Amino acid sequence: MNKANRPLRGQLILDRGASLPLILPATLLVVVFLVGPFYYMAYTAMTDLSFANPDQKGAFVGFDNFRKLVRDDPIFWSSFWLTIRFVVASVAIEFVLGFLLALLIWRFIERQRLLTTLLLVPVMLAPVAVGLIWRLLLQGDFGMATYYLRAIGLLSPQSAVFSTPSLVMPTIVAIDVWQWTPFVTLIILAGLMSLPRSPFEAATMDGAAPWRLFVDILLPLLRPIIALVLLLRGIDAFKEFDKVFIMTGGGPGTVSELLSIYAYRVNFKNWNLGYGAAVSFMVYLVVLILCSVFYKAMYWKSAAARA
Amino acid sequence: MPKVSLRLRTLVATSALSAFVAFAFVSVAGAWSLEEAAAPYKGVTIRTIGEALPPLEAMKKLAPEFEKRTGITVEIEMYEHSEAVSKVMLDLNSHRGRYDFIIQPHRELGKFVTNGHVEPVEDFMTSATLRDPEFKPEEQLYQRLWKEISWYDGKAYGFPFTALTMYEWYRSDLLNDPKEKEGFKAKYGYDLGPAQDWKQYRDIAEWFTRPDQQLYGTALQGKRHEALWYEWLNFLYSFGGDMLDVKSGSECGPVIVNSPQAIAATEYYKGLMKFSPPDTLNYFWDDVMALMQQGKVAELIMWNDATYAVAVDETASTVVGKMGFDLVPQGDGGKVAQVEGWTYLVPTDSKNKEAAYLFIQWMMAYDQQLNQHLNGGATARPDVYASADVQKLPYAKASMQSNEVARPKPTIPQSSEMTDILVRELSSYLADEKSAKEALDQSAKEISALLGSCAPMKYPVQ
Repeated sequence: MNKANRPLRGQLILDRGASLPLILPATLLVVVFLVGPFYYMAYTAMTDLSFANPDQKGAFVGFDNFRKLVRDDPIFWSSFWLTIRFVVASVAIEFVLGFLLALLIWRFIERQRLLTTLLLVPVMLAPVAVGLIWRLLLQGDFGMATYYLRAIGLLSPQSAVFSTPSLVMPTIVAIDVWQWTPFVTLIILAGLMSLPRSPFEAATMDGAAPWRLFVDILLPLLRPIIALVLLLRGIDAFKEFDKVFIMTGGGPGTVSELLSIYAYRVNFKNWNLGYGAAVSFMVYLVVLILCSVFYKAMYWKSAAARA
Repeated sequence: MPKVSLRLRTLVATSALSAFVAFAFVSVAGAWSLEEAAAPYKGVTIRTIGEALPPLEAMKKLAPEFEKRTGITVEIEMYEHSEAVSKVMLDLNSHRGRYDFIIQPHRELGKFVTNGHVEPVEDFMTSATLRDPEFKPEEQLYQRLWKEISWYDGKAYGFPFTALTMYEWYRSDLLNDPKEKEGFKAKYGYDLGPAQDWKQYRDIAEWFTRPDQQLYGTALQGKRHEALWYEWLNFLYSFGGDMLDVKSGSECGPVIVNSPQAIAATEYYKGLMKFSPPDTLNYFWDDVMALMQQGKVAELIMWNDATYAVAVDETASTVVGKMGFDLVPQGDGGKVAQVEGWTYLVPTDSKNKEAAYLFIQWMMAYDQQLNQHLNGGATARPDVYASADVQKLPYAKASMQSNEVARPKPTIPQSSEMTDILVRELSSYLADEKSAKEALDQSAKEISALLGSCAPMKYPVQ
């Protein structure tokens, strides 16, 4: 910061006095609802606290829970990799479809407001409602979707979607795509609508082909929006719980036991809160790493672009 | 004063005192009334929580009478099974005391007792002001059910809200149909009737599996849910297996869940999947009950608190008058049923323990029990079963018989985790992720590790 831009000392004092009451409520909220619980979770993860076993009153056990999680818990690892596969598959499909849809609307549709409002309906539904709707639609005896899938020959009369292990995860990914693609579309459409026209006009005057316009101008300009949408969807998909819990409960077997469902079972079925906090902490850690990687990538790209 | 006279005086005085005490007791006993006992708590509100099923709905309809007589308001919160359990756990551990009494499945009892969350009922039962002299649980309840559902480690902590057992449901109209009987006998070589053993059960399931007519032989509760474990226990017990080698639910002992009998029971259970509708791995108790109500299933094994909605309630069922009930088919384990009661309990942090006890005691009385039972309840009072109105219910006999042969299940603090392990492994087996032996061996290993030195594996795993 150069000397000219530096605020005067008096201004700082004045600002400090005025800003404190303004930021205090927000700071308190963050501390009470985010920072506090996070540290409590981190502390609990280092205890043996259990609501079920009277011998486990919350004694400090150091990193024992994490050690057990990493070394001796195959269910944790299978849930972890299943979650990663779910995140990669659903976010990738949502991104490709959402991007294409946004481009389509941007280029060819005039009444964009009406269409985007209609598109947003699945996003506005609560995940529990989405789970219940699809559970009913795909119910094996009277589900409407099951009926039509059987009618067009995509499902045999002697099978049902949630009772066929090989169909369960693809169906869950498809439902997530159905719900969240419009969200991706909306964010990318907003990005497209805010792009400056001049770079495109200049490139067109220079004779650039549509493909070059897309690759060399549109994509670089949209990079922050793309990173944002991937980050938001990645974090959200990693925490997926409600829909899967309602539709399958993690089964059949362990076919759809995502990490969040495993954490729920350890915490609220078995009441093994010390170990459950360690599982939850790992979810947080992965999300933190995801955020950090995205921010780094964005900063690196921006720095490279400035250079 | 002569010695004899002193003796006489002492005798007279003692007799008079005894007579007075006896008279006082009789008059107190005779004078006990709910209104008087509840007078100190008038205006109080007591809150409870339980599973949203007909027995609790029946209790909700009865509560206004208690409110009118006592001036105590009763608030009842109803939730789905798992929700009702987890809300109570959070309340008990946070010591908020939101609930003045709770209604919980008895498998949770060990957890509550060993963590000091619930009160023994002894103090209430010995209080002359609270105890209704007419309430004699030691005479009026099925002792085995009361001790299984509401006792832990030799001490009473409550009274059974429902004494639930599972038994065989079958479509009597189908099994008595002359054409079906003729065809069945021609194919299997014996008369068609309610299955008495597992071979017959399988044959009947096979015979009635006609997907083109929207009819299936049976319906398994194969979802990854507690329902799967409960249903499987009937097969396990009947085949002569068990989870732990113990005599009561509060004991810890050798793990036998991977015994040859258990493996045979589990393989037989999965063998029925082909006679169950295609979505069977997504069913729990509500789904199979709905299938039976729609007349799509010939036989299944189901809970007695769901029978009312299928066999009696014409607004909900298409098979009223077409249902029959019997004990679970017999295997090497003989006549058995598995019991799962929901029990009234008073939390240590309850703010209105006495008022809560008065309500529970009132609900356990004959009239309330009869009313609740006729509206979908499952009482633990034999005199209610003996009433003419109850005997008219098509499932009364099967309920009574299964009560008599019901087996205990673990109620130790780790029982929920044991259930969770078994649900996961059984579901994995049904989903073809592993064999029955692999699933039960894995269960045995995990349960043994969970319970520690008191639970060695009787069938060690390589």
